Parts: sequence; structure tokens; C-alpha cells
Amino acid sequence: MAAFDLRLSSAMKTSPSRLLARLLIVIALAVPTAAAAQRQDPVYIEDRLNQLQQAITMLTGQLEQLQYRNQQLQQQMEKMQADYEYRLEQMEKGGGRPGGAPPPRPNTQAAAPPPPSSAAAPSAAGADQLYNDAFKKLQDGDYAGAERGFKAFLQSNPKHTLAGNAQYWLGETYYARRDYQDAMTAFAEGYKVYRTSPKGPDNLLKLGVTLAVLGRKPDACAVFAKFSQDYPRATDLQKRRVEQERQKNGCG
Amino acid sequence: MRTIKAFAAIAAMIFMAACSSNEQQAAAPATTTVTPGSVADFRQNVGDRVFFDTDMSVIRPDGRETLNRQAEWLKKYTNYPITIEGHCDERGTREYNLALGERRANAASQYLIAQGIPAARIKTISFGKENPDPPGSDEGAWARNRRDVTALQ
Amino acid sequence: MKFSRRSTILGSVALAAGSAAPARAQLTIDMTRPNFEPVPIAIVDFSGDRVGADIAGVIRNDLQNSGLFRSISPSSFIQRDVDASAAPRFADWRGVGAAGLVVGQVQQAGGNIKVDFRLWDVVVGQQATGLSFNSQPSNWRRLAHIIADAIYKRVTGEEGYFDTRVAYVSETGPLSSRTKRIAIMDQDGANNRYITDGRTIALTPRFSPTLQEIVYMAYPEDRTPPRVFLQNVDSGRRELLGNFPGMSFAPRFSPDGTKVVMSISAEGRTNIYEMDVRGRAQRRLTNSAAIDTSPCYSNDGTQIVFNSDRGGTQQLYIMSAAGGGERRISFGEGRYATPVWSPRGDYIAFTKISGSGFGIGVMRTDGSGERMLASGFLVEGPTWAPNGRVLMFFRQQPNSGGRAGSVTLAQVDITGRFERQVPTPTDASDPAWSPLIPQ
Repeated sequence: MAAFDLRLSSAMKTSPSRLLARLLIVIALAVPTAAAAQRQDPVYIEDRLNQLQQAITMLTGQLEQLQYRNQQLQQQMEKMQADYEYRLEQMEKGGGRPGGAPPPRPNTQAAAPPPPSSAAAPSAAGADQLYNDAFKKLQDGDYAGAERGFKAFLQSNPKHTLAGNAQYWLGETYYARRDYQDAMTAFAEGYKVYRTSPKGPDNLLKLGVTLAVLGRKPDACAVFAKFSQDYPRATDLQKRRVEQERQKNGCG
Repeated sequence: MRTIKAFAAIAAMIFMAACSSNEQQAAAPATTTVTPGSVADFRQNVGDRVFFDTDMSVIRPDGRETLNRQAEWLKKYTNYPITIEGHCDERGTREYNLALGERRANAASQYLIAQGIPAARIKTISFGKENPDPPGSDEGAWARNRRDVTALQ
Repeated sequence: MKFSRRSTILGSVALAAGSAAPARAQLTIDMTRPNFEPVPIAIVDFSGDRVGADIAGVIRNDLQNSGLFRSISPSSFIQRDVDASAAPRFADWRGVGAAGLVVGQVQQAGGNIKVDFRLWDVVVGQQATGLSFNSQPSNWRRLAHIIADAIYKRVTGEEGYFDTRVAYVSETGPLSSRTKRIAIMDQDGANNRYITDGRTIALTPRFSPTLQEIVYMAYPEDRTPPRVFLQNVDSGRRELLGNFPGMSFAPRFSPDGTKVVMSISAEGRTNIYEMDVRGRAQRRLTNSAAIDTSPCYSNDGTQIVFNSDRGGTQQLYIMSAAGGGERRISFGEGRYATPVWSPRGDYIAFTKISGSGFGIGVMRTDGSGERMLASGFLVEGPTWAPNGRVLMFFRQQPNSGGRAGSVTLAQVDITGRFERQVPTPTDASDPAWSPLIPQ
């Protein structure tokens, strides 16, 4: 750099046009040689490495933030979606007892079936409580707690009308924690055992999504294909979601 | 400042007494009060400290100038192995600061190696935030504490 | 002063009288509920031996310091003639506002002492719990802590933490040449003793699960980089743990005590290694160009939480204990450091550095639900009590006029409501809380 400065100052004394010509020559000569010399300078190399390292670090940080925000949004979306579905189903049923999600009111529940035996009564009330508690935990983001809750519910109430829902939300507790292996098992179980439950389509849809996340695209595509076969009367929202997933994963 | 100079002069006298064989070096410029090639010369005329920005281990331009002078001096006086100490201010956690000090010491070490000082002459050690100098708790003190110190042996 | 593991504290034998009745309102406390009131408790000097008053004093101090109890001053007691083996006059104790009453007696038994105690539920008017112990007379402090643990457990439903020790760094001298040596004391500050001689700086002590060994980092005397040492607490025998060319530091035992995880620095990079304590086989667990340090195992030993600046600033990450699967869990404002996994497995405590200063906080193990418990100019290095409901850390005041600001140990419960200073003979930092002492 010092040599370059010197040549410039000597060039100042001559006419502008000649100055420009000489300047161009100087640049043409000086720049490549300077760059070549720089490339061999260990300090320069060290600098470049440091800069690259800093750039990688910065990108790593940004990537982590983006992944985090993306995950937050995804969870938020899923919560909203569940909420919409719940509301829609309520509307479709003309304000009757929701099949999709809690909270089922104990008194409307008790009105439908014939009066249960005294021994069964507390267990039914207990089941609703168990389900509601688990769902509350899920909403609060306490996934481990919700997992335990839904498992306990399913163990003692495998034939309950909400069992299909519980199985689905159990899968969601794993999915939210990015435990896709367990999520896959839970959704598959939900589809297998509670195929006709109101949450059957959701179980199958989410099974496909989970398979896709796990990188098992052919399996995911097969599941999405099965969806149209098994649930021709699924909601538009669910059908649209399946179509999106099929496109996203390049299913034929 | 005066005390530092006085100390340097005393150190130089001790050094001269200890190494009387180095007489041609002792006869150098009259403008300095220390023996060229001595520890005091290095500290006073070259500078044994390089400073860092908060949480950083990149050598700043002012640090490069110091390290350039250190490299030149070390090439001239080849009898000293050196230890580069990395230090941090107190505004970090103990364990992390130990690692950060190591990274700072390593940054200066790499720079000196790039300037042609043999790697075998250089050792590094981190003191994290354990040895503050100066011992204050304000921005000024923290800026002086985020440092490498090149110690001659 | 040494406690020999062979010496006997013959197991807890419940006294038959008044079988442990289910909890009633006033003598129980739910520490997770907001706005709980400390339980008023009266602890009468134990009868039968001079040491009885000392035992009662230690129990009062333990319970009072937990923040969950209010020890009623003995000077206000109405009934002065309590018989440790008979029911007290409950009205007298209700009169001084007590919910619980602790009485006990000490008997000499062939060179040993036998200590009985009962906790009376004054509100209900019956015995809540009672135990009997046999031990060497020199163990009276431990007996007192064990009794305090039993009372704590009966009232809160949580395991106690009083029969424990704390290792820490004792700091003395001016900042320019500060002496930092490892010390161990009982949780309440008694029986303080030094484990290193202070000739070189020693930092970050951590207990093995059996309390027989500690690991810590120390500078060798030859100005070479710091290394990790394993030291037997009783014999003082110490050995180097791993021989790496660079600095090794930030050691911590696995919950089963078979491994030590630590950081190794080389060429500006700091990575995490695992070392087999017996076979000394070592294995690299992280491989980044950044600083990965302060590793800590999960309570079940399957995961490790650590801090790394791979993303530009210090943040918390979790990986498998075998290495791999690293993912970031902290996303709040500021830098996060020194993560420690609760022995209960429910929370991770950490130091947080933000524009406003330093803080001690907890988050769930997936990074959600962050809560700050303490803050200040410099607070650092949380460590869990074995019940996972109390934390200790250190608090440093600013230096001024070339003089070191005070450095003290502090204790805070998991709600952040009750903080107190832990007394130490010197300035103190880097506390490490032991598990319960094996009985």
C-alpha cells in the first residue's frame, strides 16, 4: 500500500489525461501483484479465516433463531387449526356436544347415556377430568405433563368417546417436542385403533406429516393417498391440508 | 508514570548487572532509560499488552501495531521464549472466561507466528477473569482487563 | 471431625405412638402455592444431656433458614416443663401461635448417644412424626440435621436438604494476588475445612455422588495451563484427571459417578470431553470451532446441557450424553451460562447476563417457562440442593478504590421469594451443593 501511495503522489504533478493513463497502468500493475502478495501473507490468511469463522458463527446464530421462530409459529398454527376445527365442528353440529375437542360439559355428557351404576359414575366423571387436565397441560405447553395425562386417560378409558382424541393429542405432545419417532407411533396407533373416531382423519394426516419430517417420503405419500380413500367425507380444511402436503413432498 | 520510569531504570540496572556480557547492546540509544533487549525495554518501548473489545478475541488495529513491534523485537532478541497470557474482564462467567482468555492468547500467538516467530517459542495460558489489572469495576478498568500480556521468560 | 462411613447412625425407627396421621392444614405447606406463610414452629431444647440444647439450636437454624418455617423464640414459651415422652399441653402451644412443636431427649447408651424426637401437630393435637437415632456423640450436628430433614419432609412433602455439605472457593487477599482455595463445610456453615493449600488458584469444585471425592480445576505451579484434579476428601490424595496438552477445566461428575465431563481448550477452540473415572478412557463429545463449556449431566445421566457461543453469543444447548443431537434451548434476550440440571429433572438453572446485569434463573428442560430468581451486579454459578427446590450461588459486589468487593454465597428457594446469605469464614464463590450424606 505504501508503494502505491508514492506512485500516486508523483503522478499528481503531471497533466490530468496523462495522470489518468498512468493511474490506470499503475492500478493494472499494482493491484494483481498486491493481491498475489497478500494471498501469501500469513496474516492475511489468518484474517480471512477469522472473517469466515465470524460469518459462520453469525449464520449459525441466525439459523438457530429462525428454526426456533419457525417452530413457535408451527405450534401456534397447529393450536389455531385445532381451535378452528373445534369451532367448525361445533357449528356443524348446531351447537351440540363437540366431537373434536374439550371441554365436554359433565352435565350434557351425563344426560345422554342411561344412569350409570354407582361404581362407574365417579370413574366417568374422573375420565373427563383427566382428559381436560391433560388438554389444559397441552395448551400450557407442558408436553411431558400432557403426555402423562393422555396416557393415563387412555389406559383407564380405552373405549371412551374421547379416546380417539386423546390418542391424537398424545401424538401431538411428541410432535411438539420434535420426538417424531414416538409421534409416528402414536398417530399410527390412533389411525389403527380409532379409525372411525372424529379424530381418525387427523391421526392419519398427522401420521403422513410426521413420516415426511422423518424423511420417509414414499411412506408419507402412501398415507396421503390412503387418506382420500378412507375419509372421502373429511372436512375441506383437512382435504386442503392433505393436498398441500402431497405437493410439498412431491407425491405423484 | 514517574514511578514506572523509575522502576524501569532500576530494572535496567539490575539487568545490566546480571548480564554484563551484553555490553554492545547496553551502549545503544541514549534516549531510553532502559537497556535495549531487556524485559523493561520490551515492556516500555514495545508494549507487552494487547486489548480486546467486549466478548471478542479479534486483534484490533492498535493491537496489531503492538504485536508487529513485539515480532520485530523478538526477531532481534532471540533468546526469550514467551508466554502469552489471556485475560478477561469480570463481566462474564468464570468457566466461559477461562476459554475466552485462551482464545485471546491464541489469537495473539497465531498473529506472532504469522509474523515469523517460531511456534516453539510461544506458550499460551489463560487466567480468565481471575487476575484483574487494574482491579476496578467500571468500563475503564474492564477495557484494560480484556487483554493479552506477552511475558518474556 | 471426620465422619467415618463405618460409624453408625442406626436407621430411622419410627416411634409407635400416634401413627403418622394424614396431613392437616396448618402443619403442612405447599411451597409451590403463591403467598404461603412460613409455618410457625416451636423447638424445645432436647432434654437429658447438655448437647440437647445445641441440637435444638441447629434444628431451629436449619428450619428458619429454609424460609418455610418461622422458629418461635423459646423465651415466649408458656409450657416450660415439657416431658419429651408425654403429650404436651396443646393449649399452651396454640397460645404462643405454634402449629408444630418439636421435643426430644438425649440418652447416653454405652459410649453412643440415643436421640429421640417427636413432632407434634399442635393444631390437631396429635403426633405428626417421631424418630429415634443412635450415633457417636461427635455426630450430634448430623443428627440434628437429619431430624430437621425429617420435620421438613413431614411438613412440606419434599425431601429435606439439611444433612448435606457445600464445597466452595475460599477467596482471600488483594485482587492482584488473590488466594483461591477449595473449602468444604456443612450446609449451615459449620465444620469448615480447606481441601487445597492455596499456593495456586483452584476453582469450580464439584462433589462425586458419594461425597468421597471432589473434582476441581487448579493451576499447576509451573505456569502451565490449568488442569482438572480428582481428590479424595478424607485422605487428601489427589491425582490429575486426564493429561491434555491444553487447558482442561469445568469438570462435573455423571450422576452414577463413573464419568467426569469437562472442557478442553486447544488453539482457541474449547470442546467437551467425557472421561471414564476408573479406566481413564477419554472421548470427545463436541467438535466445534467455538467455546463449548460448563457441561452438566441430566439427572438420569442420558443428556448433557452446556453453554456454547457457536451462534455468536453464549447460549444453552442440550445433547445426548454420548455426544450428538445438539440443540439450542435458550432464546431469551442476553447471554446464558453455567446451566445445571435439577436433581429432580424438572428444571435447568443458569446464569444470565444481560444489559441490566447478572441474574440467576430457571427454565424447563425444553427451554420454556424461564423465570429469574435473583439478580445483581454479579451473581453467578447456581447449584441445586438435592431436593431440587433450593439453589445456592455467589454474589459479588463491585470492586472500588482498588479493593475487592465482597463475594458471598447466597441461597434462594425455587420461587425466588426467600433469599439469604450463607455464612462463610472468608469471601466465597463457586458453591457446589452435595447430595444428601449417605447414612
